[in-house]
Amino acid sequence: MTTTDPKHPGERARATPAPAEAVAQLSVLIVDDHSIFRSGLRAELDSDVNVLGEAATVDAAIRQVIELQPRVVLLDVHLPGGRGGGGAEVIREAAVHAPHTLFLALSVSDAADDVVSVIRAGARGYITKSSSGAEVSDAARRVADGDAVFSPRLAGFVLDAFGAVAGETAETTEELDRLSARETEVMRLIARGYSYKEVASTLFIAPKTVETHVSSVLRKLQLSSRHELTAWALERKLL
Amino acid sequence: MTRPRLRLVGGVCAGFAEHTGVPLSTVRLVTVLLSFCGGFGALLYAWLWVTIPSADNRAAADPLPKSSLARPSVRSSGASREATAPFYPSSPETDRAARPVDAEVIGSASGASAIPRADADPARAAPVTEILLGLALLAAGGALVASRLGADIPLAVVVPAIVVLAGTALAWRQFADIRSGASQQSSALLVRILGALVLVAVGILLFFVTGTNPNAWTVILAAASVLLGVVVVTAPWLLRLSSDLADERAARARDAERADIAAHLHDSVLQTLALIQQKAGPHSDVARLARAQERELREWLFTGTRGGGESATDLATALRLIAGEIEEDSAVRFEVVTVGAAVGVRSAASPEANPSGMDAPEALVAAAREAMLNAARHAGGAVSVYLETGARGIELSVTDRGPGFQLDQIPQDRLGVRESILGRMRRAGGNAAVRPGPGGTGTEIWLTVPAGRSVPSTLPAPTSTALLKNLATETQHSEKSTR
Repeated sequence: MTTTDPKHPGERARATPAPAEAVAQLSVLIVDDHSIFRSGLRAELDSDVNVLGEAATVDAAIRQVIELQPRVVLLDVHLPGGRGGGGAEVIREAAVHAPHTLFLALSVSDAADDVVSVIRAGARGYITKSSSGAEVSDAARRVADGDAVFSPRLAGFVLDAFGAVAGETAETTEELDRLSARETEVMRLIARGYSYKEVASTLFIAPKTVETHVSSVLRKLQLSSRHELTAWALERKLL
Repeated sequence: MTRPRLRLVGGVCAGFAEHTGVPLSTVRLVTVLLSFCGGFGALLYAWLWVTIPSADNRAAADPLPKSSLARPSVRSSGASREATAPFYPSSPETDRAARPVDAEVIGSASGASAIPRADADPARAAPVTEILLGLALLAAGGALVASRLGADIPLAVVVPAIVVLAGTALAWRQFADIRSGASQQSSALLVRILGALVLVAVGILLFFVTGTNPNAWTVILAAASVLLGVVVVTAPWLLRLSSDLADERAARARDAERADIAAHLHDSVLQTLALIQQKAGPHSDVARLARAQERELREWLFTGTRGGGESATDLATALRLIAGEIEEDSAVRFEVVTVGAAVGVRSAASPEANPSGMDAPEALVAAAREAMLNAARHAGGAVSVYLETGARGIELSVTDRGPGFQLDQIPQDRLGVRESILGRMRRAGGNAAVRPGPGGTGTEIWLTVPAGRSVPSTLPAPTSTALLKNLATETQHSEKSTR
């Protein structure tokens, strides 16, 4: 295992176009340290999702990702092994060697610092483990299509962390530390449980525009140096 | 061995009897008999009184166990008078012998006894216990010496004895101060303790120097006695220190064990519960049970690490509690997302304001509860609860994916939505709106409280006729506002 230090893993993942064959059948790697959960999830996933393999530790996950080159890795945030970095470590180590692989974080805990650590390492989305198999499949498909997947809780966290509720809005699109007015609205609706389609119809914009907004929020979440992101995460135990 | 709460004097005899199984009356008799043997029993009693911890300290695990020498409260000043009783009436001749010594003691040892009085804060209760105990110890010591040497009292022996006893009492009192966490400068305390120890040492040395013609053995004996004296003086403190240490160690072991359990539960049980929910589907009873269990477990884990239950005075916490309650009874899953600064709930019971300057009226919580109940009853499934607190005030939305309903289709006599949600919010100075959910499916109930609005937290409950009138106007208003 080579130790590399990718400067902006998120940017790399975002820039990766989906290979043609991955659209037809989605190849997935399940990384979780609980065998019951792995087998359960495997049985629950939709039939068009092809599970390439499973991994239980950080080291095994890195090896498998590089070896199998899956399109999407369903990655548990808490993992044993490696240097103790959990899911974030897997992304940091394996992403450079698997340029077409995208990561979707699965977590049981909702603890803000865990979620932020994997998102900032380059995960393209985050969902809770209590989501159903269909929901996980759908989220994996959306990640494979290049979208970001936000759970309502993550959206709520983003609103808090960027001070959007306090009325801070970005003036230009280059600004990384604040959300634009539109992004704030999109996040607010997602936090209220709206699907992307519902957000689009409520705001009278195209679904693709919603996805653009969400992706741009994800990019800000990954690259922003707002100290609130970490301070907030440390201060509160739950999202 | 501990001294029980229910005690005649100091609880020493009772504690000893309980510890050894010897009948209490026997122990008391022996103690009294021993007191006649040159005051030995009384001294032993005093010694044990000081060193044995009180039973309630152990039982209640008081973080700051009050030592028996700690300054008395109002209650114990009476008890302390009684406490000194055994030293006096135990033997009439000791008493008589003690009296002159007593007078002498006050004269000669006034320098020593002035110290505890000087540092007693006038604001606190008078240190009756300390003074009386000191006098009693001195008197007993004097009596002991006097009875051994006959009626005439050789000053060469009495004075060192007095000095030793005064020093000992002083030292103990200082240690008690340390233990009870009295806010005094530690350097001053240290000086006084050292002074007391020196007093003890000098007293013991005086015994030997003023006694017979000194030789090598006297010096060695004196040195050993000084060491012994210091040990005797510091023993209570050391004993307490070690028992405190043991208590603390036990507490830390408990904490470590708890953390272990929490980690284990988090890794295994929570994962399994998540899996059950995933497999069973959101509407099934199994999923509901698993969810309820998961929530309880999380609550337990987090309140444990946070060090105790913060009750539902926080609006977000209150919402989560309500969600949990409703989830237990019906097939519904609430996703509660809260954004913005934490907001307290102003209740009638505690009218003091939140330091952040913004409080949610209790009516908002009640209305939210009604909205969530409504969603659980009529829609079920996944229901989103979103709370935002910001510059605009407090916004709360409850969104379900059910069949939806129109306000004007509800019969006039149904009070659920109109009175419990719309009317309640209006009276609390807020606003409520019912509208179709996202994409035209389901229902969305909006509750808002504008910022900076001084809201009357409690209003007299309207009488039934007033309520109906109220309702009629409110319904018109709210129906207009929902359009």
